[in-house]
Amino acid sequence: MLNLNNIEVIYSDVILVLKGVSLDVMEGKIVALLGANGAGKTTALKAISGLLKTELGKVTDGNIEFGGKIIDQKSPEEIVRLGIVQVMEGRPLFEQLTVEENIKVGAYSRSDTIEIKKDMENVYQYFPILTGMRHRVSGYLSGGERQMLVMGRGLMASPKLMLLDEPSLGLSPSMVKEIFKIIELINRENNTSILLVEQNAFAALSISEHAYVMENGRIVLDGLSSKLKENEDIKEFYLGLSQVGKRKSYKEVKHYKRRKRWLS
Amino acid sequence: MIGFLQQAITGLMIGSLYALVGVAVVLVYKSTHVVSLAHGQLVAFGALFFWLFFGGLGIPFWISLIPAFVLTALMGLLIERLALRPLIGQPLFAAFFMTFAIFIVLEGIFVLYLKGESRALPAFLPTGNIEIYGISMPINQLISFFVAILLFIALSLIFRYTKVGLGMRATAEDHRLAQSAGVNVRNIFSYIWILSAIVAAIAGIATANVMDIYYMLPYIGINGLIVAICGGLDSLPGALIVGLFLGVVENVGAGYLDPIVGGGVKDVAAYVVLLLVLLIRPYGLFGLVRIERI
Repeated sequence: MLNLNNIEVIYSDVILVLKGVSLDVMEGKIVALLGANGAGKTTALKAISGLLKTELGKVTDGNIEFGGKIIDQKSPEEIVRLGIVQVMEGRPLFEQLTVEENIKVGAYSRSDTIEIKKDMENVYQYFPILTGMRHRVSGYLSGGERQMLVMGRGLMASPKLMLLDEPSLGLSPSMVKEIFKIIELINRENNTSILLVEQNAFAALSISEHAYVMENGRIVLDGLSSKLKENEDIKEFYLGLSQVGKRKSYKEVKHYKRRKRWLS
Repeated sequence: MIGFLQQAITGLMIGSLYALVGVAVVLVYKSTHVVSLAHGQLVAFGALFFWLFFGGLGIPFWISLIPAFVLTALMGLLIERLALRPLIGQPLFAAFFMTFAIFIVLEGIFVLYLKGESRALPAFLPTGNIEIYGISMPINQLISFFVAILLFIALSLIFRYTKVGLGMRATAEDHRLAQSAGVNVRNIFSYIWILSAIVAAIAGIATANVMDIYYMLPYIGINGLIVAICGGLDSLPGALIVGLFLGVVENVGAGYLDPIVGGGVKDVAAYVVLLLVLLIRPYGLFGLVRIERI
């Protein structure tokens, strides 16, 4: 459904951030995109959603295909209309608007009033906490509530593909669990594909079917999530386990850096 | 006492026009974060366009309003498209000076057209006075006062309850986020300029009802800018309240002080108010409450 074909992204005409990234998201699947800070995950998402253009970034090579259409030159609002919604990192809200207004803005690109009403009820069903806060100014919500509201707003565009950027960032473990449960639910019930960028590699690999690992603007490894979970390098560098599968202890930490080989 | 009330009420009438221009400036600032000087000229040209059709060609009042609004809206749209849109992403200071340049250029055109003369609109509102408790109020000013209030209410309702209004408020807060939610921010900018140009035109026509169209008319618009700044730049009610207040201060101040200082109080009152407000509350009197999470 979504194919990135060897894309290259340059910021301000000089900074090469993505150096030939290819990845695919099939319909109705959850795909995880892992990688350290600065690997280019967020840039990849922004390239897909078109937000890159608002920050002097450009796709200079390769193309992005969604449902058979090339979308890399389209504006963000056109891309939303086509069915791709990015839920940005840091949970940005329209802080002066109420919770309900925030949710309504999400449906701005649509005009099917009856369906919008239904979707709104749906959002309140996914996130019952928000129901009681409908008329509260959203700027005062807590981190977890914000994450729910941001995802609810994304859902209102009735997306075929959701790009989630670090939904678990800075949340308590129980809240992370809940958010991930809802992500799975959204994927299952609406058949919405999800491209998930996460630092919490274990959780991401647990709910996704396929995963990509990025480093320095390149995809270095990809495969079935269940397989990647068993990969030695992934275990060492992303899951914090030593070869035997035990928690890593300081005793075993080698004082030289283990070389990654990225063989799948 | 009656004298004071009389002056205050006359001030309210004038103030409602300041408030309208202030509202137009606030509309633009709220969603584009551009402080616009150009609205002073939109006020003047709105009145001039109306005069061309109503006074010049003798077309009936209601029909003359249409081309006057359309032309002013077009002017607003062109300013946005040709002058401000290319500056998106540039410092806001550049945009502010662009509106300053537009003000000066349009001022030149305005003066060139009028050649220093003035144009008087034929009376289009009922004349005469109503007297309530010994305070006399000119009917035409009373009407324009209520038009201003109604317009303000209508704008507030649009902002609060319509989809476009929601888009405008969302855009006001964060352009990028609004885009990611599917709001076409460029369109919103255009709508805003059209809307605010029409508001400015209404203010201009209402002003031309009580004074001639001459080279000082654009400066009524500058008073509108003062109103917007004092009100906090992003608050519609702020613009309304400060606008009315400014009208009262001007009029009452002139009534009491002019005999002492020998005239001219009206012209400086607005600036004195601006000075005091900026000294006491640099971010304006109303404005949005900045949300701090604890």
